Amino acid sequence: MKMFDHHIHMTSRTTDDYQAMADAGIVALIEPAFWLGQPRTHVGAFEDYFLSLVGWERFRAKQFGIHHFCTIGLNPKEANNPDVADGVMDLLPIYLEKESCVGVGEIGFDDQTAEETRHFEAQMQLAVDYELPVLIHTPHRDKKVGTERTIDLVKASGIEPGRVLIDHNTEETLALTLDSGCWAGHSIYPHTKMDEARMASLVQQFGTERITINSAADWGVSDPLKVPKTVAAMREAGIAESDIETVVWHNPVAFFGQSDRLDLGEHGGRPRIDQSELWEGNSVLRGQEAVVEPAE
Amino acid sequence: MSDCFNDILWARIDGPARVWLERVWPRADEAPVATKFRAAFAGAARRLRDYSLKPEDIKLLTDAGVIGAGDWQLDNVARTALLLRALAALPGDERAAFVRQIYLRGDFREQAAVLRSLSFLPQPEQFLELAIDACRTNVLDVFEAIACENAYPAAHFPEANFNQMVLKAIFLAVLVGRIADLADRATPELKRMVVAFASERRAAGRAVPDDVDMIVNLDAA
Repeated sequence: MKMFDHHIHMTSRTTDDYQAMADAGIVALIEPAFWLGQPRTHVGAFEDYFLSLVGWERFRAKQFGIHHFCTIGLNPKEANNPDVADGVMDLLPIYLEKESCVGVGEIGFDDQTAEETRHFEAQMQLAVDYELPVLIHTPHRDKKVGTERTIDLVKASGIEPGRVLIDHNTEETLALTLDSGCWAGHSIYPHTKMDEARMASLVQQFGTERITINSAADWGVSDPLKVPKTVAAMREAGIAESDIETVVWHNPVAFFGQSDRLDLGEHGGRPRIDQSELWEGNSVLRGQEAVVEPAE
Repeated sequence: MSDCFNDILWARIDGPARVWLERVWPRADEAPVATKFRAAFAGAARRLRDYSLKPEDIKLLTDAGVIGAGDWQLDNVARTALLLRALAALPGDERAAFVRQIYLRGDFREQAAVLRSLSFLPQPEQFLELAIDACRTNVLDVFEAIACENAYPAAHFPEANFNQMVLKAIFLAVLVGRIADLADRATPELKRMVVAFASERRAAGRAVPDDVDMIVNLDAA
């Protein structure tokens, strides 16, 4: 079964992760711009990060046969940093034009401050202007109120709710999110946000319409194989194959396809691997035999 | 000569792409605004992807000196035209820095477009540092854009940089036959480097690419 991890921070992951993801059936992923675990001290650091999302990280992914796309935005945590926030906002119109940028994100609330609100609203307007879907992060603390405020802000923005995916849902927020008309993402994490068995129960309870899952794997304790592992859990729970495929492939493709930039190739499969694109001291291959698949 | 990029671009586009281009087209009478130009340069691939070049366009490009024009797309043409338009409105001493910033902050397709444009920009020798730096890329598409089907390296690179580029092509299994005017630059030093590379490969029990013999047997014009 083809799988799409629509929220994963590959910049923090190894080539072993890429290989394991490809082996498990992941053929496409989206890397949302987020924070890097420690605050950046100047706008230039964001610029280099955005460049890696539209550049180097795509190259790494392709070597393992995985389509790499990104969403670009000012994350909620650093929206609170006056040293960088407005300067990053000035960069966004450039990066929202890039070919592999399929959305605005991840944006939203963290501490739910006035500055977060201001930049959240401004980025919703950018999504309208650039006709891009939006990936919204919901806060870990005071999550339910944060989700309600998110939905209010989405409604006030005038964007069509079907172009908004609210992520990191739990049992307590999913109904709210679906009722708003937005799509509902679930980040399957070790120990915290959501786990595989709970996710299978939610699909049994709510069905598959506008529901997606992702690993949200990053630099912390997280697991880039949570999408395939949740597929296994859903199978175990007796959920139909076609429903599982809807959740892990058709739904994310439909949602981000609204960007009109989600180029999955003619067959919608994985890109041809050509590891001969690797070389020398900086190669991600160091002495191994390159895998080259024949051109079609 | 360089007008052909502009002519082809405007002759092809219509509809929303034309409206977009008219909106972002740099003004002739003032220096380009960097952020606006970069957004236009980035957007070209996506907004022009539904167009293809016609045989007469490819002939015009070939006549203008483009090697491998059959592989160009309209976004390549548009990006060259955008650079020409912006540079015309910039003081001469600001042009190299401007092009360098567009290159450094572009995605791979943008970077490749800049490199394939260099020979057609005013006083191309001013972009030498950028072209040499581009050979250090780790991305094959970008390396090929400067090294292959591009007249710039043979026309402008000092010997040491040209030789490094040829060696890197062999390392990457990029066919050196794609390097424009290679025979003109096949010096004894290049042949020595290639032979040394072959020796290292043999000592390691690894295969020696056929391109080694090809270079050794080249006669400089």
